[in-house]
Amino acid sequence: MVQTRKLKDGSRQIILNGKQYDVITKVLSELATKTKASAILFADMSGQLISQRGNTDNMNTTVLSALAASDFAATSEMAKLVGEEAKFKLLFHEGEKRNVYLSNVGDNFFLVVVFDVSVTLGLIRIYTKKAIEDLVTVLEDTSGDQAGDDNIIDSDFSTLLGDALDDTFK
Amino acid sequence: MFINWALQEINLKIVYYGPGMSGKTTNLEYIHSKLDPSLKGDLVSLKTKEDRTIFFDFMQIEVGRIKGKKPKFNLYTVPGQVYYASSRKVILNGVDGIVFVADSQPHRMEANIETLLDLENNLKQDNHTLESFPWVVQYNKRDLPGAESVEALQKRLNFFNVPYFEGVAVRGDGVFNTLKAVINSVVQNVQNQL
Repeated sequence: MVQTRKLKDGSRQIILNGKQYDVITKVLSELATKTKASAILFADMSGQLISQRGNTDNMNTTVLSALAASDFAATSEMAKLVGEEAKFKLLFHEGEKRNVYLSNVGDNFFLVVVFDVSVTLGLIRIYTKKAIEDLVTVLEDTSGDQAGDDNIIDSDFSTLLGDALDDTFK
Repeated sequence: MFINWALQEINLKIVYYGPGMSGKTTNLEYIHSKLDPSLKGDLVSLKTKEDRTIFFDFMQIEVGRIKGKKPKFNLYTVPGQVYYASSRKVILNGVDGIVFVADSQPHRMEANIETLLDLENNLKQDNHTLESFPWVVQYNKRDLPGAESVEALQKRLNFFNVPYFEGVAVRGDGVFNTLKAVINSVVQNVQNQL
């Protein structure tokens, strides 16, 4: 799985390497071409957008990712309440012009596919399923992990961040 | 915390937690109103017709590049009302740091304590504890007549002696200091563990 570092307080650091990011972007591009989806997002379950493809210029994808993650989290609580022991794997929102198809990718990530109603759901399902398999594979491939990445947040960084915050929050 | 090496991005999730009407949304609204537009995204609020948060508020802010890295801060609030307990739990998913916004009015002391216990309970389910997790307290509504003394609030709420701030969020007093402190706590926490 993707590199995850567990800190002493129990919180997790999820680290995506460059190679993984490249493959993810490629998988998303292919999915966008094959399905003619309007937009495709890949994000993590805490709501952080990782990669996007399609016509997203007029779409606030940062907010869309945060909302989609909450959508997943809320429905997994719903699953418990109605006696479903696993989590719901996919969510589908049907509109008059556009539909949204959300599916989890492993436990920590998910995919959002926004498409026009003229595109059939079956087509989206088939290609999304294949894309998810590819995404799971790349997330498990740790060959691109970098050594020495421990230093991404060093003391120098935190001093400079402190200064930047002072500047920003004047 | 989510790190994307390809884009050199560091994503942090900060959650504002606290009892109903303590000023969590007001903190975010103030931050949103003051930041340079190039550094902030939209403030999204999922609220009822009565202006009460039903699920959460969300806003992403940036501070530019630091040593080539681009830190992004995702700020969330939780709904404070007691019956939205499940929603609060859900929003804590993947949280890196917490601001506990307490209401300084004496009649809200019990609500403060109850919500803090609710927070601890939710953190425990994710194997965190209030003792070791990065969090700060903001005693809000300091301008109201009859506000509880800071000493009394400290004694009842800040049993792990985390950084605390006096706030009047509607005017912005203490808002940025609180946010800075929680970001610092998160960064220190990461550094101490490497």
